[in-house]
Amino acid sequence: MRGHERDVISTGQPPWKSPVALSVLMHGLVLGVALAGWSWSVPTEDPQPPSISARLVTQNEPEPSPVTEPTDQPDRDEERRQEEEEERQRQQEEERRQAEEEERAREEARRIQQEKEREQERQRQEEAAEREREQQRKAEEEAARQKAEAEAKERERQKAEEEKRRQEEAARKAEEERRRAEEQRRKEEAERKAREEEERLEAERKRKERERRLKEQQLEAMAEEAQQQRAAEERQRREAAAAKAREAQMLSESQKYQALIRERLSQAWYPPSSATEEMTARLQITLLPTGELASVNLVSSSGNTAFDNSALGAVKSLSRYPIPDDRDTFERYFRQFTIEFNPRRLR
Amino acid sequence: MKVTAHHKLFAMALSLGLIAGCSSTGDTTEDGTYDSDVSAVDQEGGSTVYGGDDGDGVSSSEMTEEQRREAEARAERAEREAMRDITTFYFDFDTAEIKSEAREVLVAHARYLQSNPNQDVRIEGHADERGTKEYNLALGERRANAIERFLIVNGASRSQTETISYGEEKPAVMGSSASDWAQNRRVELVFQ
Amino acid sequence: MMGPQMTNRTSTGKGLSVVAWLLAIAVMIGSSPASTELLIRITEGADSAIPVAVVPFSESGQMPSGDKISSIVQDDLTMTGEFRPLPAEKMLSLPSSGDDVYFRDWRLLGQRYVLVGQLTRRGDKIEARYELFDVNREERVMGATASSSVNSSRSLAHHISDRVYEAITGVPGAFSTKLAYVTLQRSGGEPLYRLQVSDVDGKRARVRLESDEPILSPAWSPDSRKLAYVSFETGKPAIYIHELSSGNRTRIADFPGLNSAPAWSDDGRSLLLTLSKDGNAEIYKLDIESRSLKRLTNHWSIDTEPTWDHTGEGFFFTSDRSGGPQIYHKSSENAEPRRITFGSRYNARPRPDNDGRYVYYVHQRDSSFHIARTNLQTEEETVLTRTGSDESPSVSPNGRMLIYATKQGGNSVLTVIAADGGAAYSLPASEGDVRDPAWSPIVQ
Repeated sequence: MRGHERDVISTGQPPWKSPVALSVLMHGLVLGVALAGWSWSVPTEDPQPPSISARLVTQNEPEPSPVTEPTDQPDRDEERRQEEEEERQRQQEEERRQAEEEERAREEARRIQQEKEREQERQRQEEAAEREREQQRKAEEEAARQKAEAEAKERERQKAEEEKRRQEEAARKAEEERRRAEEQRRKEEAERKAREEEERLEAERKRKERERRLKEQQLEAMAEEAQQQRAAEERQRREAAAAKAREAQMLSESQKYQALIRERLSQAWYPPSSATEEMTARLQITLLPTGELASVNLVSSSGNTAFDNSALGAVKSLSRYPIPDDRDTFERYFRQFTIEFNPRRLR
Repeated sequence: MKVTAHHKLFAMALSLGLIAGCSSTGDTTEDGTYDSDVSAVDQEGGSTVYGGDDGDGVSSSEMTEEQRREAEARAERAEREAMRDITTFYFDFDTAEIKSEAREVLVAHARYLQSNPNQDVRIEGHADERGTKEYNLALGERRANAIERFLIVNGASRSQTETISYGEEKPAVMGSSASDWAQNRRVELVFQ
Repeated sequence: MMGPQMTNRTSTGKGLSVVAWLLAIAVMIGSSPASTELLIRITEGADSAIPVAVVPFSESGQMPSGDKISSIVQDDLTMTGEFRPLPAEKMLSLPSSGDDVYFRDWRLLGQRYVLVGQLTRRGDKIEARYELFDVNREERVMGATASSSVNSSRSLAHHISDRVYEAITGVPGAFSTKLAYVTLQRSGGEPLYRLQVSDVDGKRARVRLESDEPILSPAWSPDSRKLAYVSFETGKPAIYIHELSSGNRTRIADFPGLNSAPAWSDDGRSLLLTLSKDGNAEIYKLDIESRSLKRLTNHWSIDTEPTWDHTGEGFFFTSDRSGGPQIYHKSSENAEPRRITFGSRYNARPRPDNDGRYVYYVHQRDSSFHIARTNLQTEEETVLTRTGSDESPSVSPNGRMLIYATKQGGNSVLTVIAADGGAAYSLPASEGDVRDPAWSPIVQ
């Protein structure tokens, strides 16, 4: 994304002005200077510049950091990744070691070469001195010289052989190392697998344990709940019984006052001549706690205006309704109630 | 309406006096006959005021047979004459039944009418004030009709009789006592 | 609260009204106050009459002498037995218009209604403006104006009484109707019968016929213009129809024997009457125009006192076919008679009300005669009078009052009671007997 952005930004610039190009150029120059200081003595040992240059370029890239963020993935994934990581490191280690081995071998070869060259130089110098003083003894010395030569050759061969042997040894050792590492890896793999299996079993056991505990907890909760419910019911029963007793008391109290109200209203009601036993008027009345009429509402008409009016007149004629002193009883029964006017026994 | 014994006696005396005044014979009545007849509710007043026989102490065994027979005939005529002086007949409440003691008098009237075909009689029915006026009109008529039938059965001619009901409109006596009512529940014969 | 809402909605459309109904039902179910709320049933009313204050009307201009209009109204209301007017001297104030009516004052006096009014003389007329108030509801029940000629101020008063009565009771008043009755004087030795017509309070009585022979059974024609009655003026009973305005009379029935108990049909074209021309008292229907007769009963017993029932199809009558007089009903002219009364051995002269609920009659109990009525639906019999020699019941056309004749100090007098047997009101007695009252129909 970011690279892309950068591409977009760089589209308007010449290619040589791009930071990559500039960087390459810069490094090229640095290397050039460095090589200039080196090239004469050990030009062959120089690593190949293009690869270095390329690595620098890639390093210069602001790659997203490969930081492993903590993830919520299960352990097994994590483990696998760690293993892979280890394996990778091991391989890298191995490669590095091989590279060092090769380097060492090359170093040895170079040293041998140099020694040989130095030997040849010294031989040449000795030969010159020898020729001057030992020209005379050429004949006998020829044999010695040839012998020395043969010995030198032999040593050379032995050295090469040794070298070869050493190289073979190193290869064998490397192979052995590799095998050992492989073995180690397999062993670790097996251990890991066993461990994983164990962990899996452990997790399974734990899971089952958790489930069992959960179930137990649920059962306990249910038992607890049932117990609470029983207690609540018991409490409600007791409360209901108490309320019932209270209710009964209020009811009997209310009945007393109902009778009083009925009596007062009967005395105050003058059914009109047109009243018949079929007529019924219902009035809903609301009282103040003083017993005074707060409001009256004709909820069901008899169909006869005179009859309705007689009922309304009766209800409104009481200046104060007989009501119980007990406020609860008043609120329960007499705050608002309905009066039905329906003559059963006309004069 | 309970009538006391005192009241009852007074009413009887009144009605007897009334009959005595009307009757030319001045004969006594048989007190005992009606008391057993009256119903407790309707007729405490003793309205059974018809004159009975007055033969008591009149006949004499010393008379000759002829004299005796003549006397008897004379007495009978006088008796009939006397009976015909009774022209009012009384009834129990809400009935048109002719009382037994009235029958002989009515027979006398019937015989008289039979022997005097030119004599007409107007039969007037009455009721007491109790009950309703229209029903009482019908009741008075029923009483008059009862008397009329009796007269015709006993010799009178239908052409001689005429009935009318006044109901409770023309009481014989004013007042609202049981005896007043008893005297007002009646049929009167008016010879014309 | 819901009511008016619903009516508003019903007026807007049918669909909406259905919604409103559903809503109302939902509300009712939702709140359901009926199930939990206390309900007190009142099944009996006060035994006493309704307290009402008739405040003397204010007067401007010359008023006729005699009774004040407001006192006539007061007497009318009293006569019904349904009202208990407050004497004027107990009133705290004498308002003549609604502005001056203080409900609290009238409530303190225990009054239910207050009638106030103003009388104004305008030429030869009197105008009355009057208002009726409901004290407890604190509302004006009615307000109106009416006028009459100065000479008929009593008519004006009775008119106001009618309106007030209807406003309070829901039943038309019958105070503007008339009474016919017969008086009998015997003072001079010879009896003198007079047929008279008066206001319902007995005032403004006028003699329509005089005779020294009995006059009986006056009966009003449905239009209140004629009377039929029995007169013995010829020496025997005959039935006459008497046109009141002209005084013209027609002898309509003069058969041998009884001619009695005339009763008009609803259309005024025929009379039921009792004749005995065929042997004994039977009921006939007489067509007034054609004079044709139809016999409606046939029994050896007395059948009399016929009167049409409220349907005009059947009739009630008295018959003693069971042994004593009892009330019978024939549902049509040819139906089998059905006996109505069983309460005692003497029940006679039926008079039904106008809506077929009750029949009133003379009823003997022990040795007294009372007025009783039987509920035609329940067949329950109620004795209505406490007096003991009662006769000739006649029901007011609104069915609320009953007039009958009874004895008082040896004379017959007329008494008005509430049709259910309430308080009695005796009409002022003239000399002698007053009897045979007949209450006229209401004529619009």
